[in-house]
Amino acid sequence: MNGAKQFNKMFVAQLKMMFREKQVWFWNIFFPIILMVLFMIIFAGGGDDDFKATIAVSEPVQTAASEQLLGQLRQVPVLELKNEEPISKEQGLEWVKNEDVDALIILPESENASSLQLIVNMKNERSATTQVVSGVLDKFIQQANLAAAGAQPVFGMTVSSVTSGEDDLKYEDFLLTGMIGLSIAQGGLFGMVDLVDMRRRGLLKRLRMTPARMGLYGLSSMLVRLMLGIVQIVVLSLIGVYGFGASLHINIFSLAIAFFGGALVFNAMGYLFSSFSKTIEAYMGMANIASMLMMFLSGVFFPLESLPVWLQPVTQALPLTYFVDGMRDGLIYAESVTNGAFWLGMGIMALWGVASFLVGAQVYKTKSISEEAR
Amino acid sequence: MPVLEVNHLHKTFGAVTAVEDISFSVEAGEIFTIIGPNGAGKTTTLEMIEGLQMPDRGSVAFGSLDWKRNADQIKMTIGVQPQSGALFDLLTVEENLDLFASFYPKATPTATVLEMINMTDQRNKHVKKLSGGQRQRLAIGLAMINDPTVIFLDEPTTGLDPQARRNIWDIILKLKGLGKTTILTTHYMEEAEKLSDRVCIVDQGKIVSLDTPAALIDRLTKEREVRLSLMDGEKAAEVTEQMALLHPAVVRANREGPTLKIWTTQPEETLYDLFGFTKDRGFRVEQISIREMSLEDVFIAFTGKEWRD
Repeated sequence: MNGAKQFNKMFVAQLKMMFREKQVWFWNIFFPIILMVLFMIIFAGGGDDDFKATIAVSEPVQTAASEQLLGQLRQVPVLELKNEEPISKEQGLEWVKNEDVDALIILPESENASSLQLIVNMKNERSATTQVVSGVLDKFIQQANLAAAGAQPVFGMTVSSVTSGEDDLKYEDFLLTGMIGLSIAQGGLFGMVDLVDMRRRGLLKRLRMTPARMGLYGLSSMLVRLMLGIVQIVVLSLIGVYGFGASLHINIFSLAIAFFGGALVFNAMGYLFSSFSKTIEAYMGMANIASMLMMFLSGVFFPLESLPVWLQPVTQALPLTYFVDGMRDGLIYAESVTNGAFWLGMGIMALWGVASFLVGAQVYKTKSISEEAR
Repeated sequence: MPVLEVNHLHKTFGAVTAVEDISFSVEAGEIFTIIGPNGAGKTTTLEMIEGLQMPDRGSVAFGSLDWKRNADQIKMTIGVQPQSGALFDLLTVEENLDLFASFYPKATPTATVLEMINMTDQRNKHVKKLSGGQRQRLAIGLAMINDPTVIFLDEPTTGLDPQARRNIWDIILKLKGLGKTTILTTHYMEEAEKLSDRVCIVDQGKIVSLDTPAALIDRLTKEREVRLSLMDGEKAAEVTEQMALLHPAVVRANREGPTLKIWTTQPEETLYDLFGFTKDRGFRVEQISIREMSLEDVFIAFTGKEWRD
């Protein structure tokens, strides 16, 4: 009957409007992609395997020991020697000053000396490269010492991590899913600006002068937003998986619940902001504050454990924390919906949604209609 | 039987009385215009009639329908073009019409509406790219998509250039030709005078006057302003002024250089006698004029306020 026709037209109209609004594409698709790619490159991209430091080696005195050390240094895969043969100390220092090399290693200066020197440019004293090179050199010396003493190491260490998922979790996976969660949350927080705009331009009032069913309008609008959310998940996942080697282990049920639940909750928060906002600027201000606060306090980019302890209670209160967790459960841990922690998180998140919606609806109700078009 | 009956509407916002006892009725096929200064209560009155606000007291009835019991039915029989336009900017002209058409069980075909508002050529244009006049025409098109019997046009020509304004007038007259009843508000007196069957002047929440434009003007004092410029200098004008003041129909007169302004209750007779005088004296008359009374004079007379376009 008429309802179906109305819903159809409303849905198609809103789909077209979303499609034609460049801002939607930028903020919901391109911006998250740019942000994710940047973080991937800075914090994960390249990976440990690709680490290389260029060094120079100076050998003031040629001894059997120094020849042996030089030979072994050449074997270290992450160190690339700029010079095939050792150079003078002065030449090496010049290279360090000009940053032609990351570090200069000076082999023992006399037959009896046993100390190696590592010289780096002061500018880079605290850089990651310096840390790695000095770490490698340290280890190298330990090995050399052990070898010189003819001893075998008693303790060794291998690094590995465990997850409840089927595979080990990489930072790429963590960041990808964090970004997906953040994008969907922002879609809701910022998306309700449409409502402010419609009210400002008298469109809400205009629709109320027709027999149009506002409930259907809201429903079709929600459906369009959910579709945008699915596009976000797909596009970001493709880039994360194929561009940065992230791996996903999906549990479709927990993913669907987290996604629908989260989209509703953050849209409800957007709705709450819209009820308070007379202007688009006011709305955007509120949405920005909420989004910025949660972005850094909800474990989107880095694990929550890296935050100071006193901040932990704050993160435990934020809905984005639980949404991102829920999305990770569905996307990379393949956590099944029988998990209690999953539901607890969803529950806390839902509380935010319900409270936002109720308050927003109350504010809308008590506001005079005549204010609307002004 | 009137299509719209408004009885004793009252509305207050806090301490401010926006509408105080407004009553009128509108007959089928009429163009009924409400004018008044800003803050006179026009918008509040319209919104109560359109069902957007509840009156504190009083009633609004469309024939036998009222807002309490027949809201949906009323929405189907009225069409509203709000002041703000209220269009979906990212949709095309036709998509806007299509969307609004879907809200009603029965709608006029979009092609008919497009033709009526003269926008067939722009039907695939995004609303964002329309001119002010085109936007207003589309807003009127949306108001008639459900083939309503009563159409509300809230300042449809405000801010438009004279040509665009005339285009809107054409549409309003076409609607009248179709037998639609139109309730119009405007800031332009010329428009009210030209289009309206009846004009309702509202000030401070009350109706100060309601009648046909001609009757309203007629109701003003019968005094008319006659202007006379003489070619023979100030002296001639001064003598003529003295002569005029002796005429029984002349109420008062004043003079600026060679130009005389005379207020008379019988302009024709006064002019006849004055011409006799100037002819006798051999004075040559350069210009004469009798100022037409307009709705603007009516407005000033009834509200004591200057009209601002």
